[in-house]
Amino acid sequence: MLFFSFYKTLVGKEITVELKNDLSITGLLQSVDQFLNIKLKDIKVNEEEKYPYMISVQNCFIRGSVVRYVHLPAGDVDVETLQDHSRLEAREQKKVQQQAQQQAQQAQQK
Amino acid sequence: MDKKEEGTVEEPLDLIRLSLDERIFVKMRQDRELKGKLHAYDQHLNMILSDVEETMKVVQIDSDTGEEFIGTEKRNIKMLFVRGDGVILISPPLRTS
Amino acid sequence: MSTQTAPGASNSNAQFNFFKMCIGRPVVVKLNNGVEYRGILEVVDGNMNIVMEQTEEYLNGQLKTKYGDCFLRGNNVLYISAQPKRM
Repeated sequence: MLFFSFYKTLVGKEITVELKNDLSITGLLQSVDQFLNIKLKDIKVNEEEKYPYMISVQNCFIRGSVVRYVHLPAGDVDVETLQDHSRLEAREQKKVQQQAQQQAQQAQQK
Repeated sequence: MDKKEEGTVEEPLDLIRLSLDERIFVKMRQDRELKGKLHAYDQHLNMILSDVEETMKVVQIDSDTGEEFIGTEKRNIKMLFVRGDGVILISPPLRTS
Repeated sequence: MSTQTAPGASNSNAQFNFFKMCIGRPVVVKLNNGVEYRGILEVVDGNMNIVMEQTEEYLNGQLKTKYGDCFLRGNNVLYISAQPKRM
């Protein structure tokens, strides 16, 4: 959830998505969903000579699972907020796990 | 229960939480290694790192002899999102505890 | 979001007891890519994420690197083996 919210703040900004097959695509972030699937517009492929079939592509949808890295505009990233949110989410995650554990134990006792 | 959460590692992800705002070492699939300052993570080990140095092993060919050898290639990235599924190992700087 | 199986919820007791027994003791962890890690087991969770101390990385039996603390992502783990004592 943290990264989903984070990406929503970057909509309209330029990012470079590096895929697991080494293809790098730079474009404007159009939208993102909970799986971190990404829609880019006005894209440019970084080594165009190597991927000539990409020249005519202007918009694309990238499945989250094929992403290796995303290069972010450093100026648009508030690291303090991110760190706070990470800690918060870790705490919430733990609560959920403890509840699940308790339920499992209760189920066993029955 | 919540009081002791600060400094202790009671589950593996706590080690990552304690590494926030620290430079960590990350070993990735395909012989890639990252060093960078950790700013965000989630339970899948998706992360945001800053001032990243990526080292990767690549097969290079010696221009004189034509022999193949394993070289390393480095690059620097200011701000990087790393998808968790590629992560193998994370090591924080030595903890003083 | 994404409710992964919580530790203890779906794991058999045997697995959980084994992990408990190993904590604080030397273990060898082998990953799917063939790399082996030897160190003191600190903590494990239901996804087999592992934290170890004084970890040594071995590839083909040769020591490659040492880490003070290290976190191993669970999906890469092939096995965890308890060691009688530090080699």
